Amino acid sequence: MNQIVKFWERINAFAGKDSDTVRKGRLLNVMLTGIFFLGFVVLLLAAVTGIATPNLSSVIGTLIIVSLVLGYINQFSVRSASILLLFFLTLILVFADAPAELAGGRSSFVFFIPIAISSLLLAPAASFLFAVIATVIIIYLSASANIPISPTIPSGYFFLALISWLASRSLEQALTDLRGINANLDRLVADRTQALSESLEREHIIAGRNQAILNSIADGVIVFGADNQAILANPALGRLLERPLNDLIGNKLETLMHTEQLSPASRETMAQLIQSSEQASSGLRIEWGKKTISTSIAPVMDGINNNIGTVAVFRDITREAEVEKLKDSFVAIISHELRTPLNAILGHAEMLKEAIYGAMNDQQASVAGRIMANSGRLLNMVNDLLDEAQISAGKLSIRPEPFKTAALIEGLHQTLDKVAADKGITITEELASDMPEEIIGDAQRLQQIVINLVNNAIKFTEKGGVHVRIFRPQPDQWTIEVRDTGIGIPKEELANIFEAFRQVDAVTTRQRGGFGLGLSIVKQLVELMRGEIKVQSTIGSGSTFSVTLPLETH
Amino acid sequence: MENFALVIEDDPDLSGIFTKALEAAGFKVETLMDGALAQKRLEEVIPRVIVLDMHLPHVDGITLLKQIHSTSNFKDTKIIMTTADNVQAELHRSQVTIAMVKPITFSQLRDISARLKIN
Repeated sequence: MNQIVKFWERINAFAGKDSDTVRKGRLLNVMLTGIFFLGFVVLLLAAVTGIATPNLSSVIGTLIIVSLVLGYINQFSVRSASILLLFFLTLILVFADAPAELAGGRSSFVFFIPIAISSLLLAPAASFLFAVIATVIIIYLSASANIPISPTIPSGYFFLALISWLASRSLEQALTDLRGINANLDRLVADRTQALSESLEREHIIAGRNQAILNSIADGVIVFGADNQAILANPALGRLLERPLNDLIGNKLETLMHTEQLSPASRETMAQLIQSSEQASSGLRIEWGKKTISTSIAPVMDGINNNIGTVAVFRDITREAEVEKLKDSFVAIISHELRTPLNAILGHAEMLKEAIYGAMNDQQASVAGRIMANSGRLLNMVNDLLDEAQISAGKLSIRPEPFKTAALIEGLHQTLDKVAADKGITITEELASDMPEEIIGDAQRLQQIVINLVNNAIKFTEKGGVHVRIFRPQPDQWTIEVRDTGIGIPKEELANIFEAFRQVDAVTTRQRGGFGLGLSIVKQLVELMRGEIKVQSTIGSGSTFSVTLPLETH
Repeated sequence: MENFALVIEDDPDLSGIFTKALEAAGFKVETLMDGALAQKRLEEVIPRVIVLDMHLPHVDGITLLKQIHSTSNFKDTKIIMTTADNVQAELHRSQVTIAMVKPITFSQLRDISARLKIN
């Protein structure tokens, strides 16, 4: 059975032929097979019923042999086999019945067969050819049998030819259309497939490149999807958190943070970070085991501003944190240890000057005074360093208590009158009458602010004076304003003057002395007191610093 | 009670200066440079003024401060705390008469202690 199917497939293959020929060849195969088997069946029936005549048997035998021969020819030339079959059929039909029956009787219809088949096997218009042939045969048979020709029979042939022609033509047209549609469809599918494979290729390249970029970043990077589950992470993160990458992917940030390695305070920081992941935030520190990690988190937006996830970056700043801690404690220890011997120098010089060990001559007293003045300067610098270190380490706190407003002015004169007088400039002041006599604040730190501002003003003023004004710009605010007639600050430096260790240029540092910490400390103290500092300056005519603080009284 | 002062300070220079300052203010002064010695001495004398450094060898200033507050012997004693650490000064300010942050000058200590004298 299998072999029969294979044989059938093989004879219907018609390799290398156009689709029309293939269709016709296959149709011919079906017809020939039909004739072949029908021949056998008829022969069998004739033999069984006993009506087999030598004439019938030879006709059918011929049919069977012809079908085999034509089937063979069909494999090489469909057209030849078709023409041969049609002519053979026409020929054999002439002998199928008595000439009278064929010409005008009940057998005239047999010529319908080649007419109809020809339009299918050869070309639609071939039906007319076989209609002509059938008519010629009928005329010949009528003439030879001496019977009149019935005009209805040739008319029927041509009518059938017309119908066959129309039917076949529309069939071929439909097939042509279908082939066109198929071809279009094929092209479309091919185009789409091509585009899809190109885009997949592109995507593959982009994804590969993205992964390569991620892999080469030293910081740990993790990307969470809209459902907050990690979809992407780089090897640096695995190394940083000491966990395999597979462990990280698919987890929520919350789950990742639920670990013993994370200190409770850091866990809280992360929780806040996760809650506010709608906004970008950066530089938050967490302690992960023995590591200090700086964390940044930012929402991932698509083209139309929808939040489609979160990206978090973890940077190992353990070394930086250690260095920072070392620096802080270094500054604290140095400042601390420097104070004691400085205190001793100051004390001894003062005792000399105070004549505790007996009276000195003027020159000796003057030297003692210079020792005191210089150790005092040195001490101020050490104090500034310590203040700066304590403020930046967050160790300095503000201690508000009631104090007399006028004391600020008194302290200022006590400390800086001599310094100003040495430079030939004056310190004047103005205490607004609506200022309360007593206010609440950290007197020591406020005094430090006033002294630092005025000291700074004296440093940069060669002639004229420094004017201090204390007033209330608003009922709930008070302002310390320090105006000088000094050299002024260049516009481009205004933004930097509050930075630690900065003076306008290196030359001024040598000329004016100090680390340039004064203004930095003032600004930080003012911020600790929830106030604000402003500066206005004109080159050549002077600067005005104003510190505005919330006013608190009893 | 006489105007007797105890200076507890381990730095030899500073203890000298503080002693001179208190003497200049009119006190009879005894100087101790070790916490353990001070601990023993405080069981024997009741000074009017104690100048107490926080950072001391063997027994620190905090411990001495606790010892002073543990009896009523020192209810009339004025304590001047001296420290180089202003955070520490703030921390213990309430337990002492005056907290002074180093540098402390000769004249400062002389003037302050003079005000604590019994006249």
